[in-house]
Amino acid sequence: MKTGKENILDKIGRKDGMTVPDGYFDDFQLRMEAMLPPNEAAESTAAIQPPRSFWERVRPFVYMAAMFAGVWCMIKMFALMSGGAVDLSIDNNEVLTRALSDDNFVYEYLRDDVSDREMFEEMYLDSISVEDMIPADSLDEAVH
Amino acid sequence: MAKELPREDTELIERLRQPATCRQAFNEVMRLYSEPLYWQVRRMVENHDDANDILQNTFLKAWQSVEGFRGDAKLSTWLYKIALNEAITFLARERKRLSLSLDDEESHLVNLIESDEYVDGDELALKLRKVVASLPEKQRLVFNMKYYDEMKYEQMSEILGTSVGALKASYHLAVKKIEQYITAHD
Repeated sequence: MKTGKENILDKIGRKDGMTVPDGYFDDFQLRMEAMLPPNEAAESTAAIQPPRSFWERVRPFVYMAAMFAGVWCMIKMFALMSGGAVDLSIDNNEVLTRALSDDNFVYEYLRDDVSDREMFEEMYLDSISVEDMIPADSLDEAVH
Repeated sequence: MAKELPREDTELIERLRQPATCRQAFNEVMRLYSEPLYWQVRRMVENHDDANDILQNTFLKAWQSVEGFRGDAKLSTWLYKIALNEAITFLARERKRLSLSLDDEESHLVNLIESDEYVDGDELALKLRKVVASLPEKQRLVFNMKYYDEMKYEQMSEILGTSVGALKASYHLAVKKIEQYITAHD
């Protein structure tokens, strides 16, 4: 339901009650046409730039992405040329291979893991007695 | 009197881009847009002579920068922006020149409406003009564009750089104030 206030707006409609002098718009047009100064930039052969297409707008971003992709490819290629990716497997690890083939290293490394009992068993199997290894006088001192 | 802005101006923009047809196309632009722009400016400044000067400056500025117009926006949007900037600058300059506060400006505009010689004698329309003149500048602008020009909020948003939601709120607030004023003074 419309109120009285809305009816007033409806009654007025879109009229604003304003007028202009007779022939104003025609005169204005003629005055302006005569008044427009030369516009070198627009009227010379250097025409206005056409509206930019979608491609022209996204082109800088595409170029930038391509540049980064190129840099990435170059880094990858240099890595491949200089021996490829780093292989961390034990089989191809030069340091580990050299260490494992060194008996001294293995002996030093494993010694801590061998218990005295195992060692004596090994010695017994190899027919080596404790007495052979330890001087007799040292043994006497230990006993007494 | 036709106050509707033409919507299809693709062909005109094409001609504006050609040096050979540029001036002729701009004359066409003035022929098409001088009237709707005039009414919008006139409703802001409430005086024919001032509106005439502002419209003249609007077209001179548009002509000087026509080579920079890429056609990304509608011709009407581009011209409205220039015209309304000119009108707002003019009002600010007048406030400074006459040492008016924003409240004083309201009575100044009402005085201009009362002394306006170019009116058709419609009392209701005159009354509405006075009420609209009492609105804050932005609300007045939004009300004029929506109510008199029946402009879409989307285009208003492009011209004024304000969100559609804010424009709707501004318009409804303006209508409410006008209704309240009319009720109180009936």
